[in-house]
Amino acid sequence: MSELMFLRQEVAPAMIRGVWMSIRLIVPSAVFGLAIGIITGTLRVYGHSVLRAIANVYVTFFRGFPLLVQLYLWYFGLARFGIYFSPYTAAVIGFSLCSGAYHSEYIRGALLSIKDGQMLGAQSLGFSRTQALVSIILPQAVRRALPGCGNELIYLIKYSSLAYMVTCIELTGEAKILASLYFKYMEMFLIAGAIYLLLVSIATWLLNNAEDWLAVPGFEPPRR
Amino acid sequence: MKAVLEGLPYIMGGVWVTLVVVAGALAMGLLLGTFLAIAHVYGNRALRTLTGIYVWFFRGVPLLVLLFLFYFGLLGALHLDLSPFFVSIVVLGLISSAYQSEIFRGAILSIPEGQLKAARAIGMSDFQAVVYIILPQAFRLSIPAWTNEYTIIMKNSAVTYALGVAEIMARANHVAARTYQHFWLYLLAGFIFLGLTSAGTRCLGLLQKKVAIKGYAR
Amino acid sequence: MEQTPVLKVEDIRKRFGEKEILKGVSLEINRGDIKAIIGPSGGGKSTLLHCINFLTLFDAGRVFLNGEEIDHTDRRRLYAYRQKVGMIFQDFNLFDHLSALQNVQIGLVRVKKIPKARARERAVAELERVGLKEHMDKYPAELSGGQKQRVSIARALAMDPEVMLLDEPTSALDPELVGEVHAVIKRLAAGGMTMVLVTHEIAFAGSLAREILFMDEGVILEKGPPQEILYGAKRERTREFCDKIIHFHHKDNG
Repeated sequence: MSELMFLRQEVAPAMIRGVWMSIRLIVPSAVFGLAIGIITGTLRVYGHSVLRAIANVYVTFFRGFPLLVQLYLWYFGLARFGIYFSPYTAAVIGFSLCSGAYHSEYIRGALLSIKDGQMLGAQSLGFSRTQALVSIILPQAVRRALPGCGNELIYLIKYSSLAYMVTCIELTGEAKILASLYFKYMEMFLIAGAIYLLLVSIATWLLNNAEDWLAVPGFEPPRR
Repeated sequence: MKAVLEGLPYIMGGVWVTLVVVAGALAMGLLLGTFLAIAHVYGNRALRTLTGIYVWFFRGVPLLVLLFLFYFGLLGALHLDLSPFFVSIVVLGLISSAYQSEIFRGAILSIPEGQLKAARAIGMSDFQAVVYIILPQAFRLSIPAWTNEYTIIMKNSAVTYALGVAEIMARANHVAARTYQHFWLYLLAGFIFLGLTSAGTRCLGLLQKKVAIKGYAR
Repeated sequence: MEQTPVLKVEDIRKRFGEKEILKGVSLEINRGDIKAIIGPSGGGKSTLLHCINFLTLFDAGRVFLNGEEIDHTDRRRLYAYRQKVGMIFQDFNLFDHLSALQNVQIGLVRVKKIPKARARERAVAELERVGLKEHMDKYPAELSGGQKQRVSIARALAMDPEVMLLDEPTSALDPELVGEVHAVIKRLAAGGMTMVLVTHEIAFAGSLAREILFMDEGVILEKGPPQEILYGAKRERTREFCDKIIHFHHKDNG
């Protein structure tokens, strides 16, 4: 009976708090990350050589450094220079920039795979390069990049747990606190793990269906 | 800056720890992943469902949660006393095996079924056909994706710091605590990881060239 | 003088889902005999060959080698049986990661358990038999279609088969490469190899085979000596098929 009470009075509110914080971390990071990825990915393919170089350097570092190192740089590192981010802010900045670099790779790949003909066709109709990019090229690129970018979003759900390492208490953090307090390590981490699994599974399901919804008939190989 | 340079040898010592963790995890992932892939492709319904669940679990739960679960939870429940170093390798290995099994599964499925037919036609048992004909080709096909897996594990190894493993990140922190040069030390750590990732990728690229079969195009 | 046929196939039935591909096919072949199976695509010819060496498991029927029934559930006997029944595929199916020599050698080393050195000698000899000794270190991707097929014949021969099943051996080849493969098959026949040949090459079948079987819709409609089947078949369907093919060939060679 006390187990059930424990669950209701302690675990449930903590888990709900944790999930809410996780979502508050994941959603903005996903949006910013995707935006950064689209911009830098596009710059790396169509940009002016200086912009392209900058974007490439960005991607090299933010894909090359472990995410944990990046988070620590934002939270602990910059503090040494007098720049103090809250754990939440540091986490979102870290996730967005890191995620953006990976998204940029997928967008870049997708853009490269779209034939030149599309740009030429648009320009011949009088589109400027930018207009063509936005109206013709990018919509196609997004469909092609969907599997890669979608996967990256799923990774984001999982590595949002690293926010705990910069003292931002989300789902993992709440689980650890309760576990240490009541010595119920197995239970708490199994529960937390199950919640992540649920989030990841839902996201995966959405991603699979999104691929189907957005598929252009006849253009891509039919999905099973 | 001097403080950073003084701490450098100590931090570099962490490179060995990181390399062992990564190598251990990759090796475990390779061995387990191969078996899982074979079970997933050639096994009966029950095996396929089980491997599917395994892959779903280890690809769905975050690394940090699994590290805590195994180190604080499982060890306590089983009354085992293992080092964080060992547990980290096991957990990273289990996660990697899930990802590697998907890599190998994809590679195996991309091999034309005629290869298997011909192997059977000359009297090979299924075991022989898989070991001598399918796997040699599957591994070659998997090298690019496997290289990616290497970079992922290399970067993930930094998270084992959470369990107190004395790898690069932990050591950088240690020096930072004494010298207050957090920013430069973390930057240094980042560069070390970047270097290890690049070096490994280059080596695997060489490996791919070495085992490539002339004209083998899939 | 009654001799036991080398290979006897009795009443094979196979269905894939709703469709019945083989509706009770029987054949037997004596040592040194060559039989050709012709017929329209989809008639079940290829499936029949795959059933004979159990690459495809059939629903009903029996297979006998030298009078002994083959039980596919006995793994070890099945593998031994497959060594004795050589199969040549339309797509060659050479092991892509091995050189020509290694392709021939691997069966000897892994299946027959012959020591590597001896296996290599034998493999070289087989490749020489099909005229490919100079190419033995080349990989399948570096060989022409005709060369690949000849290597696959060498590979099958290395296992010392008692009968060879050839499933449209030249259908995937450019016309100019067909001749070299036919030459090798002819030499094998002259040497007394028992063969069941599925082919679209009517003229070749006619020149090589002692008996031709016409197969359509999962049954053997008619069988007889080449002259009879090709030019004076008893059944309407057979005549219809052969007329078209021969007419086509004559136009080709016109």
